[in-house]
Amino acid sequence: MKRDLRLGVLRGTGRRLTVAATAMALIALPACSPDNSADKNNSDTLSPSNPTTLSVWITTAQQAPAPDNKITKLLKDKLGVTIKYEIVTPDNEDQKIGVTLAGGQYPDLIGTGDLKQRFLEGGALLRLDDMLKTGAYPNLAAHVKDDIKKMSYSGDQVDKGLYIFPNYNRFYGDVTGGVYYGPAFWIQKRVLADAGYPDLSNMTLDRYFQLIADYKAKHPQTDGAPTVGFEVLASKGREWGMTNPPALLAGSPNNGGVIVDSNNHASIYADKDVAKNFYNVLNKEYNAGLVDPESFTLTQDQYNAKLATGTVLGMHDQGWDFGTATQSLQSAHKDEYTYVPLMPVYPGVKPWYQDRAVMNINQGFGVSVSSKQPKKALKFLDTMLSEEWQKTLSWGVAGEDYQVGADGVFSRTDQQRKNYKDVTWRASNRLDALLDMLPKHNGKFSDGNAYSPDDQPAEFYATLSDYDKNFMAKYGNKKTWTDFVNKAPQNPKYYPAWNIKLSDDANQVNQQLTDTSVQNLPKIIAGKPADFDKNWQAYVDAIHKVDVKVYEDAVNAGIKDRLANW
Amino acid sequence: MSSTTVAKPLARRASRGGSPRRKWTVEQIVFTTLNTTFLVTLAALMIYPLLNTLAISLNDGMDAVRGGIGIWPRAFSLQNYNVVFNMSTIYQAFFMSVLKTVVVVVTNLFFTSMLAYALSRKEFIFRRPITLIFVLTMYFDAGLIPNYLLIKDLGMLNSFQAYWVPTIISAFNLIILRTYMKSLPDEIIESARIDGAGEFRTWWQVVMPLCKPTLAVVGLFVAVGSWNSWLDTLLYNSSDPALSTLQYELQKLLASSMNAGMNSVAATGSAASGGQVTTPIALRSAITMVAAVPILFVYPFLQKHFVSGLTIGSVKG
Amino acid sequence: MTDPVSTLVTPVSTLVTATGLEPALEPAGSSRAQNRKARKNAAKDPKRKITWDRVWAQRALLAMSVPLLMYQILFKYVPVYGWAIAFQHYKPGRGSIWNQKWVGLQNFHNLFTGVNGERFRRVVVNTMGQSVLTLIVGTFGAIVLALLLNEVKNLPLKRILQNITYMPHFLSWVIVASLASVALSLPSSGGFINQGLMSLHLVDHPVLFLTQPNYFWGIVAGTNLWKELGWNTILYLAAITAIDPSLYEAAEVDGAGRYRKMFSITLPSIRPTIVVLLIINSGWILTTNFELPYFLGNGLVSDKSETIDVFVLRYGYQLGNYSLAVVAGIFKTIVAVILVGSANLAAKRLNQETLV
Repeated sequence: MKRDLRLGVLRGTGRRLTVAATAMALIALPACSPDNSADKNNSDTLSPSNPTTLSVWITTAQQAPAPDNKITKLLKDKLGVTIKYEIVTPDNEDQKIGVTLAGGQYPDLIGTGDLKQRFLEGGALLRLDDMLKTGAYPNLAAHVKDDIKKMSYSGDQVDKGLYIFPNYNRFYGDVTGGVYYGPAFWIQKRVLADAGYPDLSNMTLDRYFQLIADYKAKHPQTDGAPTVGFEVLASKGREWGMTNPPALLAGSPNNGGVIVDSNNHASIYADKDVAKNFYNVLNKEYNAGLVDPESFTLTQDQYNAKLATGTVLGMHDQGWDFGTATQSLQSAHKDEYTYVPLMPVYPGVKPWYQDRAVMNINQGFGVSVSSKQPKKALKFLDTMLSEEWQKTLSWGVAGEDYQVGADGVFSRTDQQRKNYKDVTWRASNRLDALLDMLPKHNGKFSDGNAYSPDDQPAEFYATLSDYDKNFMAKYGNKKTWTDFVNKAPQNPKYYPAWNIKLSDDANQVNQQLTDTSVQNLPKIIAGKPADFDKNWQAYVDAIHKVDVKVYEDAVNAGIKDRLANW
Repeated sequence: MSSTTVAKPLARRASRGGSPRRKWTVEQIVFTTLNTTFLVTLAALMIYPLLNTLAISLNDGMDAVRGGIGIWPRAFSLQNYNVVFNMSTIYQAFFMSVLKTVVVVVTNLFFTSMLAYALSRKEFIFRRPITLIFVLTMYFDAGLIPNYLLIKDLGMLNSFQAYWVPTIISAFNLIILRTYMKSLPDEIIESARIDGAGEFRTWWQVVMPLCKPTLAVVGLFVAVGSWNSWLDTLLYNSSDPALSTLQYELQKLLASSMNAGMNSVAATGSAASGGQVTTPIALRSAITMVAAVPILFVYPFLQKHFVSGLTIGSVKG
Repeated sequence: MTDPVSTLVTPVSTLVTATGLEPALEPAGSSRAQNRKARKNAAKDPKRKITWDRVWAQRALLAMSVPLLMYQILFKYVPVYGWAIAFQHYKPGRGSIWNQKWVGLQNFHNLFTGVNGERFRRVVVNTMGQSVLTLIVGTFGAIVLALLLNEVKNLPLKRILQNITYMPHFLSWVIVASLASVALSLPSSGGFINQGLMSLHLVDHPVLFLTQPNYFWGIVAGTNLWKELGWNTILYLAAITAIDPSLYEAAEVDGAGRYRKMFSITLPSIRPTIVVLLIINSGWILTTNFELPYFLGNGLVSDKSETIDVFVLRYGYQLGNYSLAVVAGIFKTIVAVILVGSANLAAKRLNQETLV
């Protein structure tokens, strides 16, 4: 008997049991259906009487919420939703994505930041266009309406359509904010102060290094340590600090490894004169003793340490990268050692350092194909995108985490600001990991408040130190640090080129190009001036060994595609 | 056993290298001085970075970023440890790490020594092919994905079994134990045989007690490896918070701190309202101490097994 | 990234062995040829056929080993079907491994020829260079330290010293790489090596160690030595304490001094240990720890610093190219087996203890 069942052939008792079971089910079913249909109407709504558990994968460095997290409680009380987190840090992402895709079982929601779109192209996500068209998700539909072409997948591995909601920079209204996060040639405030607050327009490389050289000559020591003129940023993962400047100097916005000309044609700039001229200047300055010989061997920690001791007069970096050093200096009341962005360019070129923040397409939440409750999952995303919830997620609970002024402007007390930066407090009071991946109401809310406390102008001014206020006043009453850089013009249609999805071969070439640069540039910069041309030629030859055409063609194809579709 | 007690004092005296008359020659004084100086310097060189890490972990985060800390904290603060121990998952993760390590060590020692015993018997017909099959496993790996699929197909995803079932036998430890067992004098086994003991009894009651030092060493290796591993948590058990281990949680904490460093440049124009509570460099040091200290203390307890009981030679003499 | 199992093994450790007994039995002056013959005769069993009776008689031993053998085959050998990925254009998520695009030897071609090939060859040389240097320095250092620690008569001091020397083993490689980076930097950045050199007037200017490619292998070996030295001596010391003390007494009577004893008794007694470990480690030449060259390496030294694992990370995992990672793995395995086999054979020829 047993053997027969295993073979899938039912005989005797087995068969009778099965028939009986089926009969019972059939009889029972009609009795169930009225309840079923009633359930169906409610089953997709999120309410406390209809508790839902959503499993969520998030690639983020943010931490998971603590068990006593108050927003978790709010979600449960108001929506009946409990979130089960699976958090993977970006460093571990590659391996985990590989095995998860191989296994084929996914959580309800997948929050991915993977520029290679592995989840998308691996068939793990649901195509959402049809669901959005039903009108059951008003917030999401409004979110994607204007930019749906941009946000949609347009490759050929899976059907074209919308799969992922970008998690940053879909702006509603104006962009505000006081801190500049983008790339620049930074210089310490004390250098400018000492030089009498010179005019910063029409900045050139020569003027920049002149300012540094003059100051260094006057102050060879800083608090007992030797002053460093210029630090080249080249630590692991930050090689762009060394390779990007030529493009910016040439007036091109940050398109990664290519410069796109007026005909929308992209080509690499690493082997061109725009690069050669820059490294020639660096080489001269290195031999004049202005560039730190340790630049190429510092780890990120050491780099931050050098900045935090205030010994480095200038570097090329992006504003978000050295936040820890800035904080350290500020907490030691050494504001004059903090940095201000400068925009040197080649003659005849207008600077384009600051660009308009780009939407993070193909990074954010998508609904998985193996989810048993896709409608609820999507409804959850929709609800989270309402202004009410966005305020809760971003600012917190009114009265506890921020105050609403008589004029409706949000503000915070010092204690609330302190909490905001406390990693442990955040674990109990904010859903950082979830928020990192959720689509956001970036920009302004309808009541005029900025989306994030970070961007609220009043917050910025309330906490500016006196030194900084004074400094800004000396520069024609600039109001924020972003006033020191160019006003961002409208982005080109295809912008930015660095997040174009490339073929595998092109990706490999890109990596090879980066490696060639990292290997050769330090030699060029630190070499003797007489050897410059020789070293440069060796570098160019090494570049031409790599199949650059594959890379350029892939980028150009991507640009054409975007121009046509966006 | 009496022969051991006789051998010990002899061993100590003989290994001193000095004559029984305990007279110190010039050579001995010179050598001992140089040797001790050298060893103490070496020890200092080795302990310095640990003291340095400890000092940084007890230092205020913002101040630690500037570097330049020696073996004393410059600005004392317990904040870094506060952050670590306030992590809601830490106690569960610690418990899970301990449980995992204990289970892995016990199963490892049990099965590996059993197999080592079988492979140490010269008369065992299949000794060589089986040893070869195990030895080869030290040199290849099937890859991330097939291993994952195997664990998945065995239903061990998000379960405690994924921590110990795949790692029961390590070929390297097997060789260690086998070689030691091979070297035990045949008379011991023979006398057990004569007493009528079967293979299992011989292994468990005769050979294992004699293997204490080797088992201690292998146990230590396995314990350290298991305590430090986090890849298995990442790949197999990351969906279940209850199964998370200490190393994995600490790694995530560190990642979030590095992220906070980047985000905190935002918020305000200055740090007037206080900087971050901790910084990656200080937090990393605190995490290192928390992760390493428990296992650091395992070895001293095992050390007594290494020193004594290794006087097999005396049985012969 | 490191395999948890591989953290269980240290590149240089020793086997506890009291095979010190065997050499002890040999008269001091016998020739090698005589030894070899004597050993061969002693070990030779008459060729016996494998009969059912014999198998049945050894059923207990079989019960102890065969289930574990099955286990090992399941967990280690069965997943090797995954090596098929090396012959595919593997994109995870398209169903199973068998549902992928087959590309034959194209991945091998990509890895071994062209721009990648040139880089890969250099990377293999670097891995071997770093490994061999680390192995030699590490083995030598561990033996010397074990001998020196053995000479310490004050037991409490000995235990304290030993406990301290193994502490660096517990620091993660990320921290060690960071410490090494600081130690090798300029005096103004905390580089105490340069500080020491300058105060001893050995150099006029600080040396930028991490900018010199030719120093890198030495830096790796040195850092490895610092981190693993104490740990590696654990077993050597245990092996030394297993040596029959009566041997020392006999040597004492013969008037042997400290060094005579070291070279005639201690070292020969732990020689089988050393040999077996060297054999095992020869197979691991292409397996280095990943973090140290990754974090300490930079553009100026990348010609000498990049190892196979770093390369696989950058061109395999980071690009989503799992096939490349598997190809590199297969390459490593083939080389490992060849090396181990040769080492084992060499040991047999030289009449030493063998692995298999």
